[in-house]
Amino acid sequence: MVVAALGAALFIFGDRIQAAETSFPIYFPDSKLVVKADVTNRTVYVPIKEIIAHTGLPFTDSVALETLTIRSGSNQLVITKNSALISFNGQIILLPSPILREDNRWLAPVEFLTMGLSKMTGSAFRYRPGTARIFVGNVDVPELEMNAQTLGPITRLTLRSAAPINLELKRDDPLKPVLTINRGPLDPVRERIDHRDRLLRSVTYDDSDGESKLILDVTRDVADVRITPANNNRIFFVDLLRTGEAVTAAPPPTEPPATATAKADAPATNRRVRVVVIDPGHGGMDTGARTAAGSEKDLTLTLARRLRTALQARLGATVLLTRDSDVALDNEARSAVANNNQANLFVSLHIGYSADKMEAASSIYIMKDGYGDASSEAGGKDQLFLPWYLGYKVHRQGSRTAANILQQELAKGISGWKFPIRHAPLAVLSSATMPSVLIEVGNLNNTVNAQTLLETDFQTRLINAMVDAIHRFSESPQAAAN
Amino acid sequence: MALGFFVDVIGRVQSVIKDESETEENPFQPPAQPLYDPTDPPVSVKLFFPSASGDPLLAVEDETIFKSSELTNRALQILQKVQDGPRKGGMFPALPKETKVQEIFISEQGTAIVNFSNTLATNHPGGVESELATIYSIVNSVTYNLPEIKEVKILIGGVEKETLAGHCLLLLPLQMDLSVTNATPRVENTASVR
Repeated sequence: MVVAALGAALFIFGDRIQAAETSFPIYFPDSKLVVKADVTNRTVYVPIKEIIAHTGLPFTDSVALETLTIRSGSNQLVITKNSALISFNGQIILLPSPILREDNRWLAPVEFLTMGLSKMTGSAFRYRPGTARIFVGNVDVPELEMNAQTLGPITRLTLRSAAPINLELKRDDPLKPVLTINRGPLDPVRERIDHRDRLLRSVTYDDSDGESKLILDVTRDVADVRITPANNNRIFFVDLLRTGEAVTAAPPPTEPPATATAKADAPATNRRVRVVVIDPGHGGMDTGARTAAGSEKDLTLTLARRLRTALQARLGATVLLTRDSDVALDNEARSAVANNNQANLFVSLHIGYSADKMEAASSIYIMKDGYGDASSEAGGKDQLFLPWYLGYKVHRQGSRTAANILQQELAKGISGWKFPIRHAPLAVLSSATMPSVLIEVGNLNNTVNAQTLLETDFQTRLINAMVDAIHRFSESPQAAAN
Repeated sequence: MALGFFVDVIGRVQSVIKDESETEENPFQPPAQPLYDPTDPPVSVKLFFPSASGDPLLAVEDETIFKSSELTNRALQILQKVQDGPRKGGMFPALPKETKVQEIFISEQGTAIVNFSNTLATNHPGGVESELATIYSIVNSVTYNLPEIKEVKILIGGVEKETLAGHCLLLLPLQMDLSVTNATPRVENTASVR
């Protein structure tokens, strides 16, 4: 009985229990406003009276009618307490969550700004789910990319910005050095990176007070932090040096490879692949193909790690692996890593196994066209709710382009090997909502072929061909369609 | 008189028990019916098996079945031949060892629901290419020769599986795909009865 009552109470008041308050900066073209947003069950609620007052639009707050009316010229926007429906000049707009009114404060889901208020102000409110900031109108926000790498005794954080920035280091707390970025708002590609080596635990982008900064979480082993700017303050190398090691003995930061500099010179808008997710097939109990030469799960992980390093150096992209250790993952979890990180490309790596020991065929797979068409038609014409296994439909053309480019580059890089493109109903590709391909290389059951797969020289050629392909894909129009 | 009645009752009870025990011997065994009549004419079919070269994925073998009037029986004959494996060289068996076709049901809409023994998944060597080859050997062999069957849904051990052995989706029924073969689209004089 008591448990049931507690359960009911949790059900009814659960929303409020999970509410958390966060600072939410809103960047206008010539000013900024920091509001306190309530995050309730993943819905971000913002106090809209403050925001409307900042835009200078007149409004009427009617306590008796429980409505708030905003006016701008002949336009009128009416919102009602506890309702997800708002009215713009008599036209009804449905918000994902209802508008709340608490203690004389009007709280609206953040989509109210992008779907409703933007019609009144005439300037777009840009909000990316998962972030805690909004850009209004044509406010200038260069992208900020960050990558961390362990380079022998030092750990290097590389920052790339689309416009020149200035960095200032504050080490008030030796375990939490802060890099203040002296520039207006920035648009970080990722909010946080978890590195977890012997010097650096994580880096978090923080602009909760409207000032851009990076908060580093470092270990006690860090003796010094050295910042080296490059490329007219568009690239910064932040090197963490270890205790006990003479500072002078630490290797000076090297200039990035020529290709990386050339790439970084290009405006960030030209580089369309910002996040690549690589999926080493199998893992844990699921060994994949296994012979005396080794297991598929180990070989795919080795290749994926090498591909990550090469892609980071060459493309400057954020590269994530679906697994970075020997763990089992189901297909859905793999594509979810790509979906959740808004990847621009998803590459699943597999090693082949054929019953015939002579065959050494490799293939490039893309999701079978038309898979699930019949069932989605039966489900109704409106595609508001797409079954998870139909996620692939959004980027069919992009997947095809990626497969074609990979086929050409692999044929160039590994002579004598054929890489036919096949269409298959593959679970791991079906729910990935970005261009996605699966590559199956070689045949582990063929002794000679398996030896080749294990050779470092062959792996290097394979990785280089794939990096060339992904580099080419990043410049194709299909990559931009993301 | 009373004794006679008692004997009669015992006799009836015994006969009931005997009947039950007879049926219990094989409760789920379907009556063993041949898949075709001796008078059914033979008809040639094309079966698809994984090719040795791997390119194309599936090669074609010509076989003969008997044109029985039941669509289910024709489908079962084809699946039997797929289960038996290729007779020519240059091809591999499509199904893993010890795999049996257990049931088939064909819906009015032309979806064949085929149930295989668990070994289809447990004995499968895995790998994207070989899973794809197994699935389309089954789907193409059935749909190519029997135009009434538009799509095939594969069940394993009587239940729906997400994938065959980790890669290829079995969630939805699959249609014929000749892009993995050298076969030309079928002509209409196939094993169907009109």
